[in-house]
Amino acid sequence: MNTTQFLTSQWVLSPVALACAGVGLFVYFRRFGWNPGAWWLIAAAGVGLVTLMSPLGALAEGYLFSAHMLQHILLLLAVPGLAMMAIPAGTRTPRGVARVLHPAFCWGCGVGAMWIWHVPVLCDAAAASHAVSAVQTVSLLAMGAAFWWQLLAPREAERIAPLQGVVYLATACAACTALGIIFTFSPITVCKAYVHPVDRLGIEAMLYGTWGMNAARDQQVGGLLMWVPMCLVYLGAIFGQLARWYGAPAEPSTAHA
Amino acid sequence: MNEPGEAVMEAVLDPAQREHYQLAWLSTVDHKRLGILYILTATVFFVAGGLEALTMRLQLAVPNNHLVAPDTYNMLFTMHGTTMIFLVVMPLVFGFGNYLIPLQIGARDMAFPRLNAFSFWLIPFGGILLHFSLLIGQGPAMGWFAYSPLNETPYQSQLGVDYWDVSLLVLGIGSVGTAINFITTVLCMRAPGMTLRRLPLFTWMSFLNSFLVLAAIPVLNAALVMLLIDRQLDTHFFLPAEGGSPILWQHIFWAFGHPEVYIMVLPAFGMISEIIPVFSRKPIFGYEFVAGSTVAIMFLSLGVWAHHMFTVGMGRPMDVFFAASSMLIAIPTGVKVLNWSATLYKGRIRLNTPMLYCLAFLVHFLCGGITGISHAIVPLDWQTHNSYYLVAHFHYVAVGSILFALIAALHYWFPKMSGRMMSEKLGKLSFWLMVIGFNGTFLIQHFLGLAGMGRRIYTYPDLPGWGWMNMVSTVSAFFMAAGAIVILWNVVVSLLSGRVAGDNPWEAWTLEWATTSPPPEENFDALPPIRSRRPMWDDANPDRPDPVVGPEHDGMQKESGSGIDKHFCAMLAFVVSETGFFGTLILAFLYFNLAPQPGPTAQVLDLGRTLFFSVCLFASSFTIWRCEKALHRGNIGMMVMWLTLTITLGLTFIAGQGLEYGNLMGNGMRIGTNLFTTTFFTLTGFHGIHVIVGLLMLMIVLGLAMAGDFRLKPPPAALAMVSVYWHFVDVVWVLVLTVAYILPHFVNHL
Repeated sequence: MNTTQFLTSQWVLSPVALACAGVGLFVYFRRFGWNPGAWWLIAAAGVGLVTLMSPLGALAEGYLFSAHMLQHILLLLAVPGLAMMAIPAGTRTPRGVARVLHPAFCWGCGVGAMWIWHVPVLCDAAAASHAVSAVQTVSLLAMGAAFWWQLLAPREAERIAPLQGVVYLATACAACTALGIIFTFSPITVCKAYVHPVDRLGIEAMLYGTWGMNAARDQQVGGLLMWVPMCLVYLGAIFGQLARWYGAPAEPSTAHA
Repeated sequence: MNEPGEAVMEAVLDPAQREHYQLAWLSTVDHKRLGILYILTATVFFVAGGLEALTMRLQLAVPNNHLVAPDTYNMLFTMHGTTMIFLVVMPLVFGFGNYLIPLQIGARDMAFPRLNAFSFWLIPFGGILLHFSLLIGQGPAMGWFAYSPLNETPYQSQLGVDYWDVSLLVLGIGSVGTAINFITTVLCMRAPGMTLRRLPLFTWMSFLNSFLVLAAIPVLNAALVMLLIDRQLDTHFFLPAEGGSPILWQHIFWAFGHPEVYIMVLPAFGMISEIIPVFSRKPIFGYEFVAGSTVAIMFLSLGVWAHHMFTVGMGRPMDVFFAASSMLIAIPTGVKVLNWSATLYKGRIRLNTPMLYCLAFLVHFLCGGITGISHAIVPLDWQTHNSYYLVAHFHYVAVGSILFALIAALHYWFPKMSGRMMSEKLGKLSFWLMVIGFNGTFLIQHFLGLAGMGRRIYTYPDLPGWGWMNMVSTVSAFFMAAGAIVILWNVVVSLLSGRVAGDNPWEAWTLEWATTSPPPEENFDALPPIRSRRPMWDDANPDRPDPVVGPEHDGMQKESGSGIDKHFCAMLAFVVSETGFFGTLILAFLYFNLAPQPGPTAQVLDLGRTLFFSVCLFASSFTIWRCEKALHRGNIGMMVMWLTLTITLGLTFIAGQGLEYGNLMGNGMRIGTNLFTTTFFTLTGFHGIHVIVGLLMLMIVLGLAMAGDFRLKPPPAALAMVSVYWHFVDVVWVLVLTVAYILPHFVNHL
């Protein structure tokens, strides 16, 4: 199989993923009706479905550690972040949920997701078993949602203060940089499942020949994805915090003075 | 004392201080005097570094020259680079920061004046250490970035590298102290109304810059201690023959070295952002973008160091990612250049000396920036790396941009510091000498580099074009030297007989101009109300003030009641810097031990016993927390009890570590045995030193408590601060224990 054939043929319909996206959209429209924010949710569903059902998903399933890493980043950062932006401003968060979501807990979710799921045993398990993989997907989405909640909660009062938000994001960036550096330079393999893939699609020649991949390089790309682009997402969010901070209006009392 | 000397004394000292002038400046803790001392010290080293540069240019003036020996030449470029970076630009940047930050935020002094004096005095100390080896003819000769293995004993057996190493450690400690002080001052000492959103850009950028110092300098310190251990204790962190990794040195060095570029340039950006608006008679265009892009530069600069290493052969993935992220830095820096240009647009531009230097900065920075981006293009970098093209590039940034901004700052703030104006005539003369000299020296080096001339060569054959181009470069360098002499002359003449400046000679808008020139010891008699970013404009134009910026309080000032405590803030900043230090050591440990080393490995460690002693250490975190609670309730007896228990637990842990070390050494293991023992002893050793320092501090607190100091209301902050440090040391041990003891036992099962 060559690259074009691979990129055009490996789109699979996952009924579970489609059903989840459908239910999500249905619940959203029942609750909020049509509003411009819905586009964010549609984008989230789109990114989520592409992540799981496209050739990226095929590569992540046993072939490339780096593809699996990209999938993680999209599921952890892109999908929940976009979905969170869809919720209309001012929507109340159920009190029980809000109480659990302490900043330290949310930070731990966002950062811990990457550390936990790359313990070699768990990483291999997820690559070997569909059930573990499904748990992984759901947990990444949930932990990502918890992480973003501090920054994107629908009610301003429930969000972290902007400058604390900068620290929140900067430390998250530092934590995933550290792990990315370890993966990039590590002499040991993080996920053994990706070292000798079972070539169920007949694309090994394409990956190792045309694409110039090999196991060591694959892990390096995976580490670098976590190190550089992931931090760029955090940096983008830091700008969001700065914009929020500089955009805060002057107090009426001082404006009259 | 000669005539002008006495006149200078009269200009800078009042009669009472003249009586004992030596002490007045030697013992000062006043931020303004320390700022000036920084600048004077930097000037002395600037002369030294400049003479080194001129000697190199003379040597290179003609082909096959033998003015200096090859070894001397190596020492010259090493000393020139190290001096200019660590002893000229950083002290200047910190000096201006010291002088200006408290004034710009309307404070009386820095948060910690004595720490400030300590940080300053480390600079002459470090500078003397560095130059000592040169004066006995054993200077370091391996380049300012000291690439391994050239920095190791087999290749540099003289003491120069050791002096270089220790001197940089000393200077690094001073820089971290300064950064902690800057951060605390800006967060805790601002005048009412001076919210973070209203900070002048110079202060804002120096503030952010301090975080960069906290992140970057400890990484260098970690590299330096590893190098020193290599050289003094015969270990092999960076020696390839014994399994060490020269590439690791490059990674760690540039993880510091690239942010270092921004540590030097960010305050320069801040100076430009202050001067251009004043001489364009317009507020800065897009304050938020200038301020926000600084945050972007700060973060990006920490993650792009590997673009210094494209020629190492890191592999295509590394090259691609770092090329892309390096190019991204062009966006925030480009935003800044556009903002400065837009500030000029339709302004009523006054071409005084500071402004002239700023305009030259813009041009030079654009050139240096673009050649910088060209180095992010990997194949081009392979061709031009370590050629004179690279030398030209970084001198356009370091001299044409940073030094020009510093000279602009000198001319701009000299009236505030001395009370007298600098001569415009001499200023303009120096400007043209510097501009012609600088561009003559370095523009042509781009072409020399593209023609194939490598850097760090002490002489070269008579190839077509090389001779005359080098001659042009050398002659121009002397124009720059003449320009520098004119600047120094201008300073002396203006100090003696300059026109009296008055409070606000440039009609500027930030708070330092709201007081007399020079400011009184307490800085301000009264402050104008602060509601915008240009309080002096509002004061002068009450009928059309700037729009009010943001809420009145940002919850961070002590005055507002809910602010952060300055001791806590400083301790936190210190902990951040220590995190960088230990983080580097831990990553180095993992780098060498994830795959087992030949010889002893972590399997020789006694995990069970260490777990027991670790529990003692962790328990001490609990006891010190109880100790704080007891103090909070005012129960000094309980406090002393818990404190004693904490010290006992800490001592038990240290005894346990001693047992471990004794066992290992009894089995013939030394720090140099293999890379496992090297990294193990280094990592746990530094942790142990931190525990011992913590114990000493706890004992001091115990002594104070027994002497009754803690009966005061409110009690001294010492216990709370030692407690933060102690918790940090415990957290580090959690990581060290995991990485050095637990992980190796389970790494095969994970």
